[in-house]
Amino acid sequence: MVFSSVPFMFMYLPVVLLVYYMAPWKWRNLWLFVVNLLFYGWGERVYLLLMIFCITVNFINGILIDKYRGDGRKAKLILVLNVVINIGMLVFFKYIDLIIETLRLIPGLSGLEPLGVTLPIGISFYTFQTMSYPIDVYRGDADVQKNYISFGTFVALFPQLIAGPIVRYKDVADQLNFRASSVDQFASGVRRFMIGLAKKSLIANNLGSLWDIYAAASASELTMLGSWLGIIAFSLQLYFDFSGYSDMAIGLGRMLGFEFLENFNYPYISKSITEFWRRWHMSLGTWFRDYVYIPLGGNRCSRRRQFFNILVVWALTGIWHGASWTFLLWGLYYALFLMVEKAFLLKRLERAPAILSHIYTLLIVIVGWVIFQLDSLDKCAVYLSAMFGLGGAGFAVTSDFYYMLSYAVTFVIAMAAATPLGARLYARAPEALRSCAAPALIAVALILATAYIVDGTYNPFLYFQF
Amino acid sequence: MKKISSWIQVFIFTAFIGAAFILNLVLPDKEMSEVENRTLQQFPKFTFENFVFGSFTTDFEKYANDQFVMRDGWITVKAATELAVGKKENNGVYYCEGDTLIERFEAPDDDSLLQKAGYVNALAEKLDIPVYFAIIPGAAEIWNDKLPANAPCDSQKELIDLVYSAVPDAETVDMYGALNPHADEYIFYRTDHHWTSLGAYYGYTALMQAMGMEANGLDHYDVKTVSDAFLGTVYSTSGFTWVTPDSIQTFVNPYDGLSITNYPQGEPLEGVLYDESYLDKKDKYSMFFGGITPLIEIDTGNEGLPSLLIVRDSYMDSLTPFLLEHFSEIDIIDLRYNNANLSQYIEEHEIDSVLVCYSAYNFSIDTNLYRLAK
Repeated sequence: MVFSSVPFMFMYLPVVLLVYYMAPWKWRNLWLFVVNLLFYGWGERVYLLLMIFCITVNFINGILIDKYRGDGRKAKLILVLNVVINIGMLVFFKYIDLIIETLRLIPGLSGLEPLGVTLPIGISFYTFQTMSYPIDVYRGDADVQKNYISFGTFVALFPQLIAGPIVRYKDVADQLNFRASSVDQFASGVRRFMIGLAKKSLIANNLGSLWDIYAAASASELTMLGSWLGIIAFSLQLYFDFSGYSDMAIGLGRMLGFEFLENFNYPYISKSITEFWRRWHMSLGTWFRDYVYIPLGGNRCSRRRQFFNILVVWALTGIWHGASWTFLLWGLYYALFLMVEKAFLLKRLERAPAILSHIYTLLIVIVGWVIFQLDSLDKCAVYLSAMFGLGGAGFAVTSDFYYMLSYAVTFVIAMAAATPLGARLYARAPEALRSCAAPALIAVALILATAYIVDGTYNPFLYFQF
Repeated sequence: MKKISSWIQVFIFTAFIGAAFILNLVLPDKEMSEVENRTLQQFPKFTFENFVFGSFTTDFEKYANDQFVMRDGWITVKAATELAVGKKENNGVYYCEGDTLIERFEAPDDDSLLQKAGYVNALAEKLDIPVYFAIIPGAAEIWNDKLPANAPCDSQKELIDLVYSAVPDAETVDMYGALNPHADEYIFYRTDHHWTSLGAYYGYTALMQAMGMEANGLDHYDVKTVSDAFLGTVYSTSGFTWVTPDSIQTFVNPYDGLSITNYPQGEPLEGVLYDESYLDKKDKYSMFFGGITPLIEIDTGNEGLPSLLIVRDSYMDSLTPFLLEHFSEIDIIDLRYNNANLSQYIEEHEIDSVLVCYSAYNFSIDTNLYRLAK
């Protein structure tokens, strides 16, 4: 179930909220635990068992690590074992076929058959979440959780189960045991959810259909203007899709009394790649920083060692995004720019005119998305040559102008919404104006989003076409 | 003030999702969507096995979407919003000047077209009676100037020229040349992909010319408007539900001595020239001969004239009435539902000539033309 769908918004959510607020406090976590499993099980009946296994193993290991706290070796052993189980699960269910396909290239191993494992929904997110818990307990950053229901509620919490943000246990530990709720918090959850819903259903899906047109174009059809329209549409689509999903997660969390950390902070206004990665998918960056980069020595070591650490973290970040070597390449591409910036460029960028820094950053990010989204190097080469005027289809054809004009308003809205402009205006508006505007905007967004969600399933049957 | 506003925000949100939840629960489920012209998903049967391993959850999601309260209204809101933000199309349909809806045409690759042309030519080569071949261009071609500026839409004229060039053994019919000079007339429905009866009349003149026969003038006919409420397939696809409906006209009246035999299920039944019961339904164009059927045999009652076999799509249904007075027998075959051996059929029924006639759109997507070459 995705959030922007009829079954979630108009069946699941009303029932979840109604029972949650009718139930006394001590039953609320149990109710959330049950509906979380229902939410996950709706999409993944069999893999639900895998998730329950994951919850149970991490829960028990947390208790054991706490118990052997005095005995450093035993605690460490359990911790290592736990990390191996979590990573092992992720590697098996996500990467095993990629590994087999790659091994097949070695002569003598070509007889290996891919296993055809389907990826369990959200496994990349929830294994990272569960892994963080025993580490936090081991380091003394979080207290042990002795209530299975509370721990299960944390792992499977439906707002962030499928697409993040990646919530670390220590950030919500207190909220699992007690959370207050107020109408102001619920209302801010509603506003946040509606912002995310509008981003996803009104902007991201719309621009996605433009990207689909250009992504499907052959080398002889792809013009320079068209390739830029396509990749800019994709860059915006990905941001609005992903950050919209995070907004909805944060909003739903607030409706249930949780406060999650932010996941995006207007990444496209960055003036360097270093800054971009502090603003894009922040919960993933934080996770790798806390559990990989800093344990490797972080910044407090030699320059060469720092570069090695960056390389490791960005190779992992890249491949985390999907089981394809192009994602690894995409990660290393960023590692390169981050190292160059660390070496000398960052200081120069700070002194350069803002416009140059912005162009530099966006150009690298946009070219990065080509590598990210096209699944082979051949396709990347074709697309990039079209973008830089080396393609065979020339500068533009008439349909490019049609699409540019058709999507002009959407592009302008999307680009403005990718900056903090709207939020600043809202924050500066007088209290009275905000109090009136918020309900009206929520109503309009509800109507439009519902129309787009319902239309997404519009499926006229035209048997009399013939 | 802030507190009140918070309460209002919470109320709007929860009331909206709650009201939709309750209305969906209480309102009776619908069997059929008029606008989308299909049966809607009903509540799927729940069994443990179906839930865990089967299609229960996907069927349930379809059910929830199909039965959503005021479904058609939401679709209209979306289509109107798309226009408001500067798009000139929705679901692949262009919103053109004069309340006209035109579906984007995408030509298939040349190889598949030439392959199909080869089937037509094989039929013409095999038979020793004349074979006429016609491709009818649609509104996307003839009304090209009504499309939004620069709108992508492949040329059907190029498609016709390409296909005709690969059919040397058949007599091709210049439908484009007959329709294009009348582009400013009401020759296509504004909400449907078919041509109007007037468009079919111009098609008939092209056919007569190719066959070396004399066509009647327009004043020969007694034109009747049988419906003012036709909303066709393009309307259904588009979501532009507010456009003015089309009207349907007939030019030729049924007469005594006309005998039509229809074989909807393989058994002969008495057929009709116009089945007016369709005028009360959504699919009004099917009033011509009563819609889809594998075979129709028409005894026109006119003695001493040649006989004609038509292999066709639904465009022919509105053209055929014009042909009645020029032939003694007209048999109509729909290749999708009729796998008959054509040579044998022609011999048995002493057919004098054959017409293969498709719209450019149907010719590009059809997958049964190979049956011609058998």
